[in-house]
Amino acid sequence: MAEPDVFAALANPTRREVLRLLREQGEQPVQRLADHFDMRRPSLSEHLRVLKDAGLVVEQPVGRQRLYSLRPEPLREVADWLTPYERFWRARLAHLRDVLDGMPDD
Amino acid sequence: MTDPTTIRVDQYLAHPPAKVWRALTDSDLIARWLMPNDFAPVVGHQFTFHTDPRPRQGFDGVVHCEVLAVDPQRLLRWAWRGGGLDTMVTWTLAAEGRGTRLLLEHSGFDPDDPVQRQTFTILDGGWRSHVWRRIEQVLDAASG
Repeated sequence: MAEPDVFAALANPTRREVLRLLREQGEQPVQRLADHFDMRRPSLSEHLRVLKDAGLVVEQPVGRQRLYSLRPEPLREVADWLTPYERFWRARLAHLRDVLDGMPDD
Repeated sequence: MTDPTTIRVDQYLAHPPAKVWRALTDSDLIARWLMPNDFAPVVGHQFTFHTDPRPRQGFDGVVHCEVLAVDPQRLLRWAWRGGGLDTMVTWTLAAEGRGTRLLLEHSGFDPDDPVQRQTFTILDGGWRSHVWRRIEQVLDAASG
């Protein structure tokens, strides 16, 4: 079961956007992330701290910068928990496809 | 806007609707892709699916169903009850090219259920439509 702070971290649209940017563009410094948002950098730093506490991002100092990157493992826990029935049906429909492939047409 | 009470899964199958319909309505065939059952395609017929119990979710492994609608090669609807759920499963078939577009809708999830309520808070605000697919891609990449 995922920790509650993962859910709290994901409930905010800015933080979800940060995760999307990190996924699509790879690791990057806070200033490059800040360029995407209309907010003061301390506010963004607070969002990054929440994501870090939830284990969704990691920061690595490189020279004078701090690079942020996505850590997807907690998302898997959320995904397992979030839509069990959707996962159930997707798996069953894959089986249905196999059954159909093995059936005669009439 | 995400409907918090319904799961939808849409799938193209490279088989004609008549064949898909058979796989959806023949008890032995259903057992091969879904669960053992005593289904019959007759409105009002009551039947069960059997699977592994999940005690932590209060589910004894038996899904109690009733056939609610049968429209051959077009629509099939079951009541789906068990593990605290009182829901409905609807299959809709439409010919598409040489195959079939199959839509599954599992509806009637309770937004007042505390577990589901937290789920819907997360799903709100376009979360599902805009972000979920990308997260799935992340998961796929991470496990690959």
